[in-house]
Amino acid sequence: MKISTSEYVIREVFFSLRRNSWMAIASISTVAVSLFIFGMFMILVMNMNRMAESLESQVEISVYLKDDVKESSIDDIRGTIESMQGIDTVTFVGKEEAMKRFQERLGEQKFLLEAIGDTNPLPNAFEVKVKHPDMVKAAADEISKIKGVESAKYGQDVVQHMFDITRLIRVFGFAVMVLLAGATLFIISNTIRLTVFARRKEIAIMKYVGATDWFIRWPFMLEGIVLGFFGGVVAAGALRIAYGMVTNKIYDTLAFFPLIPMFPFIGYVGIGILVCGMVIGAIGSTISLKRFLNA
Amino acid sequence: MIQMKDISKTYENGTVALERVNVEIGKGEFVFIVGASGAGKSTFIRLLFREVLPSSGTLIVNGHDVVNMPKSEVPYLRRGLGVVFQDYRLLPDKTVAENVAFAMQVIEAPRRRMQHSVNAVLDIVGLRDKYKNFPSQLSGGEQQRVAIARAIVNNPALVIADEPTGNLDPETSWEIMDIFKRINASGTTIVMATHDKYIVDTMKRRVIAIEDGKIVRDEAQGVYGYEN
Repeated sequence: MKISTSEYVIREVFFSLRRNSWMAIASISTVAVSLFIFGMFMILVMNMNRMAESLESQVEISVYLKDDVKESSIDDIRGTIESMQGIDTVTFVGKEEAMKRFQERLGEQKFLLEAIGDTNPLPNAFEVKVKHPDMVKAAADEISKIKGVESAKYGQDVVQHMFDITRLIRVFGFAVMVLLAGATLFIISNTIRLTVFARRKEIAIMKYVGATDWFIRWPFMLEGIVLGFFGGVVAAGALRIAYGMVTNKIYDTLAFFPLIPMFPFIGYVGIGILVCGMVIGAIGSTISLKRFLNA
Repeated sequence: MIQMKDISKTYENGTVALERVNVEIGKGEFVFIVGASGAGKSTFIRLLFREVLPSSGTLIVNGHDVVNMPKSEVPYLRRGLGVVFQDYRLLPDKTVAENVAFAMQVIEAPRRRMQHSVNAVLDIVGLRDKYKNFPSQLSGGEQQRVAIARAIVNNPALVIADEPTGNLDPETSWEIMDIFKRINASGTTIVMATHDKYIVDTMKRRVIAIEDGKIVRDEAQGVYGYEN
């Protein structure tokens, strides 16, 4: 684009926004609200994903060995498990180690163990992590068939529930985000439509004197992008404040909750919101102009 | 300049506006298109700058195949033409000079040429001293002169005028016709649809008469031929 044309485009956008300043403010506000809700869902879905991932990654199979398994065959069993598909890590937890952990977990109630004296009822065990949570069930079934394995356990019900919930949230969040994107698109294209309508004579004259469609489109497109951009700035700022408040609250009361830390996460969300706003603005203005350019 | 072969135009509502029209207009000609309202004059004019597409036939305007050209080429067809309408179609919030310069701006003409060209065409139409005025401060005739200046500022080979004197009194109409005569004298082809019997009869130029979508008369030094 030539410099004089860029100047022309920028001037047109500036005039148009000033001429319809109330409309511009109204549409920036609406876009900001939509993008804010959009961003909230984005943050919610991303946090849910992270929580699900962190829970999923914690899912492990506890493999208890029979008491009569000899020291020498423990390594064989380990080898068999490691050679199976989809196994990530296999950690041996011996009887003594298991007892030590148990004592630690009991803490001040350690005295309870005095009742059993020096005997150690805990079995030798492996903690097995799989590469993908989907493989937990298959792996556990297979491991339990190995000779010398007493049982292979994992929190079947909990894992299944968690999978169901995360999937639901992802689908729902995606649907809401698509709906909001559509609504934002509608708002921006309506605002631009007013500008287009106010300038329909000008557009007609531009066509008569041989302006290309792109030359006509640029100022409107930029206007849409500007509206989307400012809406995005407001939304991103509000999201930063809101997320700051939420994270503070949660760190104070529910510290174990694995929220995504504020920085740089909120920066990425902000950039995402800005890009969304600008893209939607560009598409919205293209839609409003379509009828006038084809005429 | 214009080769129209077997051109027909039927609108979507079934109205037949033109039927198998054959016309050839050479470079530098001055042609009046006459006929009653609804005879097909307007459609004829609008075909030339591809405001409407014919239903069938071939049409070459200034070297462009109007029927088969891709939509993206239409602006380049129009850059070689100047169009003048009955209702002037000026931008009310732009001055005279800005209205004229607008035609250069949208085709991204170099700016250093703009000032010079705008002054030159304002001289031709005699409005150099009113370059800072807004259209609302001008008379109808002056507004039409601005529109003509805008139409010729990019040096078109063909100027198309649709009833350019339709809203003007006889005296002002003659001033406008004088400008068109001068533009034509410099080699620019002019095609003008008009209802003005007096102008057509006095100018003694080529007259193409359209009735019911057909050319009924095409005379080198014709007359209007209808009672007003």
